[in-house]
Amino acid sequence: METGGFHGYRKLPNTTSGLKLSVSDMNMNMRQQQVASSDQNCSNHSAAGEENECTVREQDRFMPIANVIRIMRKILPPHAKISDDAKETIQECVSEYISFITGEANERCQREQRKTITAEDVLWAMSKLGFDDYIEPLTMYLHRYRELEGDRTSMRGEPLGKRTVEYATLATAFVPPPFHHHNGYFGAAMPMGTYVRETPPNAASSHHHHGISNAHEPNARSI
Amino acid sequence: MENNQQQGAQAQSGPYPGGAGGSAGAGAGAGAAPFQHLLQQQQQQLQMFWSYQRQEIEHVNDFKNHQLPLARIKKIMKADEDVRMISAEAPILFAKACELFILELTIRSWLHADENKRRTLQKNDIAAAITRTDIFDFLVDIVPRDEIKDDAALVGATASGVPYYYPPIGQPAGMMIGRPAVDPATGVYVQPPSQAWQSVWQSAAEDTPYGTGAQGNLDGQSMEF
Repeated sequence: METGGFHGYRKLPNTTSGLKLSVSDMNMNMRQQQVASSDQNCSNHSAAGEENECTVREQDRFMPIANVIRIMRKILPPHAKISDDAKETIQECVSEYISFITGEANERCQREQRKTITAEDVLWAMSKLGFDDYIEPLTMYLHRYRELEGDRTSMRGEPLGKRTVEYATLATAFVPPPFHHHNGYFGAAMPMGTYVRETPPNAASSHHHHGISNAHEPNARSI
Repeated sequence: MENNQQQGAQAQSGPYPGGAGGSAGAGAGAGAAPFQHLLQQQQQQLQMFWSYQRQEIEHVNDFKNHQLPLARIKKIMKADEDVRMISAEAPILFAKACELFILELTIRSWLHADENKRRTLQKNDIAAAITRTDIFDFLVDIVPRDEIKDDAALVGATASGVPYYYPPIGQPAGMMIGRPAVDPATGVYVQPPSQAWQSVWQSAAEDTPYGTGAQGNLDGQSMEF
């Protein structure tokens, strides 16, 4: 079940000073988003009957422009202005970036006869395509995610016996490190920052979650 | 590399310090000095950006409020019909990756606008950033050709051997620069030459003090109650 079409319109209840985005700016951005969508409709479909379907499809092709602008403003000086065509160009660039990395990650999956794109595949694709600066921060991010959220994820997993079988199968291809059911507890004992820095970005992590063990997570989460 | 940093520090005292000859790369006489200093400043700003991102991620502890919606990321990933299944972690990782991508593309674009003394980020600034950065080659089709042609001369200057992004050996230097960034005593390294950038980094430093891991919104994400 896909229900993510309009997440971009969600208004955040609390805004920290780091966001540098006032409520009036958010309203303006949302209006601009509607205008942008309307423009895209006009340019692509003149028939009014297809407007709703076209709106959904157009919006799904890009990240919500309000989110994109909020991120841009985090790095820009306060007095900086962003032209409308710059906002839309960044939107297009982000979608292109996702497709670019995903395409490379998917090719690797197919070569290795796997069906599920994992976070490791995404990191591998970024490294192959030259985004070396991204590997270290994203590896740290993934480790922290597993450290803080891993327990909840594993509790939603499949029965223990089945999981063990899957890991045994994966061992042939990946030779994974020993699996810990409570990664949070294990990770908490280690200085993650130091650990991450001492390990090469592409080295196998002892906190691996293999894609197959999460094969059904997307469905579970989207319900 | 230390020498390079010192030169950068000297350059920060003014936009175009007169008479300071650059020891790096092939120059077209005295005219290249200001340009090289500008490039050094830009490199330093990008290094500071990455150091700052690493520090922010070390303190992140909220994975519920992503800057970008996960479902939308999944839909864009699945627009490729060859993509079959996606693990739950991949869109979460992409949400952060896209945030870094937007930030890097925005800062590189803003550097171009700043060079032209403009305060409005325009499409041709993004086109310039794409042209100057190798890893952004896949975006060339998104910006029109005429936008790119405006920087033909600048691209030619780039071909003279001045890199726009630092080589892998520069990475340790980036991490070294990250240390002064958290020390107020050496604020000179944190503050870029332009007033605009000074306010940005000062604001960032104030908004996200380091060493206080208890704060959950260091990366600007907000809590939902």
